[in-house]
Amino acid sequence: MSALSVDALRSRFQAALEAARTPADLKTLRDEFLSRKHGLVTALVKSIASATPDEKRTLGAASNALKQEIEAALDTREAEAAASAPPKDALDVTLPGRRPFLGRRHPLTQVRERVEDIFLAMGYQVIEGPELEDDWHNFEALNMPAEHPARDMQDTLYLASPVPVPDGGRAATLLRTHTSGMQIRYMETHEPPVRVIAPGRVYRRDQFDATHTPMFTQIEGLVVDEGISLGDLRGTLNGFAEQFFGGRVATRFRPSFFPYTEPSAELDVECQGCAGKGCNLCKHTGWIEILGCGMVHPAVFEAVGYDSDKYTGFAFGVGIERLALRLYGVDDIRMFYENDLRFLEQVAL
Amino acid sequence: MKAPASWIRELAGLPTGTSAEDIAHRIAGVGFEVASIEGDTIDFEITANRPDCLSVCGLAREAATAFEVRGPGSGVRVPGSSVQGPTQPHPPPPKLTHADVSVSIDSALCARFSLATADVTVGPSPAWLAERLTACGVRPINNIVDVTNYVMLEMGQPMHAYDIAKVAGPALVARQAVAGETLTTLDGQQRTLDASMLVIADRDQVVGIAGVMGGAGSEVSSSTTHIALEAAWFQGVTVRATSKKVGLRTEASTRFERGADIGATTTAIARALELLEEIKAGRATSAITDVYPAPKVAAVIALRPSRLARLLGDCVPAADVERILGNLGFAVAQAADGWTVTVPTARVDVAREADLIEEVGRHWGVNRVRATFPALRSAPRVSDAGVLRARRLRRVLCGAGLQEAVTFTFMEAAAAAPFSDDPAALVSIANPLSEKFAVLRPSLIPGLLDSLIYNRRRGITDVRLFEAGAAFNTTGESQRVAWVLCGQRDTHWSTRAESVDLFDALGIAEVLTNGWGLTLTSVTTDQAPGFVRGRVAALLTDRRIGTVGQIDPAIAEARGLPAGVIVVAGELDLSAFTGDGGSPQRVASLPRFPAVVRDLSLVVDASLSAATVRATIRQPSGGALSALREVREFDRYQGKGIPDGKVSLAYRLTFRDAARTLTDREVDDAMTVIIAALQQECGATVRGL
Ligand SMILES: [Zn+2]
Repeated sequence: MSALSVDALRSRFQAALEAARTPADLKTLRDEFLSRKHGLVTALVKSIASATPDEKRTLGAASNALKQEIEAALDTREAEAAASAPPKDALDVTLPGRRPFLGRRHPLTQVRERVEDIFLAMGYQVIEGPELEDDWHNFEALNMPAEHPARDMQDTLYLASPVPVPDGGRAATLLRTHTSGMQIRYMETHEPPVRVIAPGRVYRRDQFDATHTPMFTQIEGLVVDEGISLGDLRGTLNGFAEQFFGGRVATRFRPSFFPYTEPSAELDVECQGCAGKGCNLCKHTGWIEILGCGMVHPAVFEAVGYDSDKYTGFAFGVGIERLALRLYGVDDIRMFYENDLRFLEQVAL
Repeated sequence: MKAPASWIRELAGLPTGTSAEDIAHRIAGVGFEVASIEGDTIDFEITANRPDCLSVCGLAREAATAFEVRGPGSGVRVPGSSVQGPTQPHPPPPKLTHADVSVSIDSALCARFSLATADVTVGPSPAWLAERLTACGVRPINNIVDVTNYVMLEMGQPMHAYDIAKVAGPALVARQAVAGETLTTLDGQQRTLDASMLVIADRDQVVGIAGVMGGAGSEVSSSTTHIALEAAWFQGVTVRATSKKVGLRTEASTRFERGADIGATTTAIARALELLEEIKAGRATSAITDVYPAPKVAAVIALRPSRLARLLGDCVPAADVERILGNLGFAVAQAADGWTVTVPTARVDVAREADLIEEVGRHWGVNRVRATFPALRSAPRVSDAGVLRARRLRRVLCGAGLQEAVTFTFMEAAAAAPFSDDPAALVSIANPLSEKFAVLRPSLIPGLLDSLIYNRRRGITDVRLFEAGAAFNTTGESQRVAWVLCGQRDTHWSTRAESVDLFDALGIAEVLTNGWGLTLTSVTTDQAPGFVRGRVAALLTDRRIGTVGQIDPAIAEARGLPAGVIVVAGELDLSAFTGDGGSPQRVASLPRFPAVVRDLSLVVDASLSAATVRATIRQPSGGALSALREVREFDRYQGKGIPDGKVSLAYRLTFRDAARTLTDREVDDAMTVIIAALQQECGATVRGL
């Protein structure tokens, strides 16, 4: 067997070491080069015996150096391999972790709290009241006496028999059609200035389909003080729209009618589906109606004993579902009441 | 209200080139939403306060104002309001003697009753007239009826024509019906009337339900030659109530119930007579008889510029105020402090200064009002505790791994009854839309159970839901929080699959109450409708505040849950959760001396409750026993090695004195006393310390 030259052997080893990947590769390499029986370096050393004395000296030193070099290189690589090998008690970290259950607030709650937070930051207080109301707080005091045609705007669900209320006031006879009754309750017990929002469930005798629901969530706002104007209402609602939709958003006021406000208006925001150019979402108007509002009707102030000449005020009512439909891009309002986890688990924590 | 743009254009004096879209857009801009535009016809949504705009005349006034039509002769060119606005007077009525029909009012619900007679030739209407009616959604019938409808659409005043030959007397009286009287209305239906209803009657019988529909008996037919034209004012509330009772909503009732123009009756009759002549259908045979016992005085309102500026927050130039109100038909006169404004009788919605300001605002442009922000003049008041409480509880429950649900407040009686303490105490809705929404929930659990089943039926096996909200019974509403769970307690690959049980539901109640600083105990109860006996606990503080347990499978299966699924639930009344739970509480100082912990393993009768054992441990006193801080079960075992009917319980006892370090000896003594008590009171066998 003719031995390879020292240099050839070195480059062959270096190439093989480069290619070695596993501890088994290194073991094969050690065998191939250093085995006492058939190692290539061993063969080289043996071949020195047949060389001239001069050659013996140089070749001997070179082959020895090569042998040490190979041993050192293999030792280093084997040590590295040993250090990176997994410990016996290693865990399979690719398995899924033990996740604590974590629930989410319902999308309607999230939207409601988002609205509440915006108004809290504007100095409002959040108030709540009964869902079962009497005729006075739901209608009469809001400038809708019995048989007022405006009552048709809010088809009412009545109780089969009256239910007592906690404060011992008038017994409840109906499911509130708006949270505006809270305006009355609040003003009956507090003097101006008033700056409140009243969120809650409200009820109408409406079909349950993709766009209607007999129960929905409303946030009613009320501000009363000396010198409150329609301009203040506009500024407040612009501020709300900006914070709610995040960033500047075009708004417009349209005249409207509510029995308890005069003048009354509706606030539209620029459709974000089409940036105001017109699309299906906005029925090609470029605008989306988000709330009704107006200046508190003096008859409402008189019903609660406020001086309607001294005080003015504004009120507004936001439908939470309507905002939520837009925010979540949902086109069927029923999704909010089915509580399908596949829907609920998509919303933010 | 459907109206052809050409008609509006004609009455408003708009240039002929003004398109339907232009008109729709401008009128929408002043508060009348447009439902649709089809060809030349615009369908406006008229709000309940504007019956005057249930007429082309009213819409034309809005259009003329919105388009700022100016100059002499501008405004609406039909007989309109009794107040002189920029309207053109109608031709003088023919000089004739009084009608041959006697007219009277015998009820305060009718304030004006006007009538004239005419000789007519009944036939079809000319095409232009029939086309206008059709465009407005009114079916042409014959020239006489069509003229009355045309005047109603044009001016908003409902009218009725009688065939005098079929009117006994001939006499017409507006009176209240006698209970039990009947009338066959124009639609061929026989109606039974009651005393609250206002009717028109002849000498013998009822001939019409006032403001709702006329009777078939005196209807104008092809053989009619002599008619009486009626235009009257009926009280809106009565018409609305009657229309609801008889279940008839008509063009007339819609206008009367919102408030008709009491000043318009005679002008409407004059207009109808004019039209009859114009289309050669007839000619007046009498002057107008006008029974109007207490003529209405037009409202006069002071309008102050200062108030206008204060409410709108912007100054509208005086010239614009005058132009707007004038074009809308108000008579505006200068006064020392602003203006004196006379309200046309058609404007039943305008009664006070704020109403006038709205008129100015609408047409000047609410959208032009400069945005300002109201100053905070006093510190904000604190929000209601209940609002903050609900926010806090929701966050805790979400953190505890429950998903918030929102379910309907009303449900079908079959869903509610199993969870009601007393089915007779369920609150029913008098006029539910369907049986599915017939009663108010007596508990939040049935709604949550339905939502759980909804998910389960869609292949979602592990469901954990909660809801916070009101529950109802005949004594009132109460705020609650409730939760339902089914499926595996832990879905990790490392744990054995185990269904949730009562203790999962109980733990949630414990976390909520302990977090609120309440001490909760759970006891066996038989007073828990909807739950499985023996697998349900009443939750007590100083009183019962709730329930946890396993839902009766028969109830769940009846609602559609697949058999074999265990559902547990809990509910708490929030009245015990006082305050908002967020106020900082005083904290106790931390213990300075170490605790001594002892474990105790016992075997007792399985029927003995853990509460009894705990109480026995805590019963003795003296020495280190006063330093016993905590008694906690950490193991419970039945099975191999434990005799039948017995249970092994393991307790961890923690002793700690506030003032010094306890010695082992003291604690040993205390344990001896405790063990003796357990042996004596509970028949316990101690298995070693
Ligand atoms: Zn759009």
